[in-house]
Amino acid sequence: MISLLKSAFCGVASRTTGSAGLFQDHLKVLSAGLKTYPLPPDYSDVVLPERPKLKFMNKVPNLKKIKKEMKCLRDIRGPAQKGTTFTTGQYGIVALGGGYLHWGHMEMMRLTINRQVDPRTTFALWRVSGPYKPITRRGLGKRMGGGKGGIDHYVTPVRYGRLILEVGGCCELGEVEPFLSEVAKKLPFPAKVVSRESLAAMQQEEAEREQNNQNPWTFKRVVTSNMLGIRKVLSPFDLHNHGRFSGKFHNPGRV
Amino acid sequence: MAATLCGKLLLRQGWLPVTHCVRHGSKAVTRHRKPMHFLKQKLLAVTEYVPPKPSASKRRVPQVKPHQEESGLAVLLKREVQSIFQECKMIAVVHNSATNAEEMLHLKHRLRKHDIAVRFFPNQVMRAFLEDSQYSNMEPLFIGPTVLLVSKEPKVKEMLQGLRAVPQMVLMGACIENTLLSLQGLVSYSKLPSLATVQGQVVSALSLQTSQTAAVLQHHPARLSALLQQYVTQKGQEGTPGGSDGKAGEMTPV
Repeated sequence: MISLLKSAFCGVASRTTGSAGLFQDHLKVLSAGLKTYPLPPDYSDVVLPERPKLKFMNKVPNLKKIKKEMKCLRDIRGPAQKGTTFTTGQYGIVALGGGYLHWGHMEMMRLTINRQVDPRTTFALWRVSGPYKPITRRGLGKRMGGGKGGIDHYVTPVRYGRLILEVGGCCELGEVEPFLSEVAKKLPFPAKVVSRESLAAMQQEEAEREQNNQNPWTFKRVVTSNMLGIRKVLSPFDLHNHGRFSGKFHNPGRV
Repeated sequence: MAATLCGKLLLRQGWLPVTHCVRHGSKAVTRHRKPMHFLKQKLLAVTEYVPPKPSASKRRVPQVKPHQEESGLAVLLKREVQSIFQECKMIAVVHNSATNAEEMLHLKHRLRKHDIAVRFFPNQVMRAFLEDSQYSNMEPLFIGPTVLLVSKEPKVKEMLQGLRAVPQMVLMGACIENTLLSLQGLVSYSKLPSLATVQGQVVSALSLQTSQTAAVLQHHPARLSALLQQYVTQKGQEGTPGGSDGKAGEMTPV
C-alpha cells in the first residue's frame, strides 16, 4: 500500500519538474486537483447587538390618554420620507406600496425570523415602530349613529420605500433570503427582500431614469404649467408625486 | 349716485362675497385604484418614460457580430449551386408567384422531357454564392420566391414553350453559356436556328465559293477567252453610246 502511494506520488512529482530544481527533493507540489477558492467575506467589523433577536412589540401603545383619530390616509399615500436607508443591517424587507401593519403581522414576522436566524452570528432589528395609529370600529350589531365607534386596534402605517426590518451579522443573502421572502409575501402590501447594494441600485436607477428621460413632455412640466387646463382633472397629490402613485399604490416605470 | 357711494364704501372696507364655495377636495381613496379620468389617462400615456438611446460605442457592439459559422446544409447547397453553374449551360431564373403543387408537377414533367430540371435554392445561399463568383450581376434577380430552370444544353425554345402554359411562372432572365440574357434576349435567342444548321450553312457557303472557283478553273481555256471577249465587248458597248466623255477613250485600250 505504502509503496503504491509512493510510486503515485513520485509520478506526480516527476511531472511537475519546474524551476524549483533545488527544492525538488524536499518540496513536492501536487499540481493536479489544486483549486483556488474565492476569499470568504470579511466579517471582522460586525458588531452584534446585545439582543440580536426581534423585540416583542406591544399590541397597544403605552398612552396616558387614548384618543380617537381621523383616518388620515395621507400617512400611507406617496413615498416614505424617512426610514428608506439601512442603518446597521445588511439585508431587509422594503415596502413597495403603502399599507397598515398591525400587531398580527408583526408577530408573524418576529416569530418566523427569530426562529430562523442564528442569534450567535446574525441579528435582526425593527425599522418600524409598534402599532400606534388607532383604528375605530363600531361594535357588531349596533345601530347607526351615536357617534364614532370605539378603538378596535392599532396599526403602523407604512409608505412606499419604507424598510420594515433589517437583518445583519455574519450572513449572506442566500442564507436569509428564503425566510425573508416568505415573510414579505404575507405582508399587507407588496414587499421585496433587498440588500444594501440592491436597494442603493434601485434608488440610483430611479434617480437616473428621472434624469435621463428623453421624453420632453414630463408629467411635472405639463402639470406645473397647467397645459390645456389639465389641473382640472388632477389632484394636489399628483402635483407632488407626478403620477408615480395612485393612492397607496406605486406605479412602477413612471418618472 | 347710490351706486357710486356704495362702491366707494365697499372699496374702503374690503369686500366679502355673500356666498362663497368651500372646496373640501376629493377624498383619498386608498383601498383600490381610483378610476382615472380619461384626460389623466391620456396625460399618463403622453408622459411615458422614454429611455435614452444607447451611446454610439454601445450601439456598435451588438452590430459587430462574431463571424457566424455557416450551417452544414448551407455549405452543401452552396456546393450544389456551384456544380450547377459549372456543368449547366442554361440557368434560367423564374419568379414563382403562387403556383400550386399540381401545376408545378405538370411543369416539371413537361420540362423533364427536354432534360430541363427545376431546382429550388434559398436566396440566401444563392446570394452567398453569387457574391464572390463571376456571375455576381445575376444577384438582383434573386428576390422573392425564385426557381432555377437548369439544363446541360441551352434549350431555350423548349423552356419557353413549357413556361407558356404556366403564366404564374415569370421568366426573369437567364445565363446561357456564360452570357446573361434578358427576357427579350431569350426570345430572340430561341428564334435563332440551331448551331449545327448555322455551321452547315457557313460550311456550305464557304465550299460553294471554292467549288465554283474550281469549276470555273476546270473549264476549257477557250471558254475563258470567250468570256473575257464577251466582257470586253460589253464594256465597249457601254463606253460607245456615251462617247462624248473621256472615259470611253480610256476604256478602249483595256
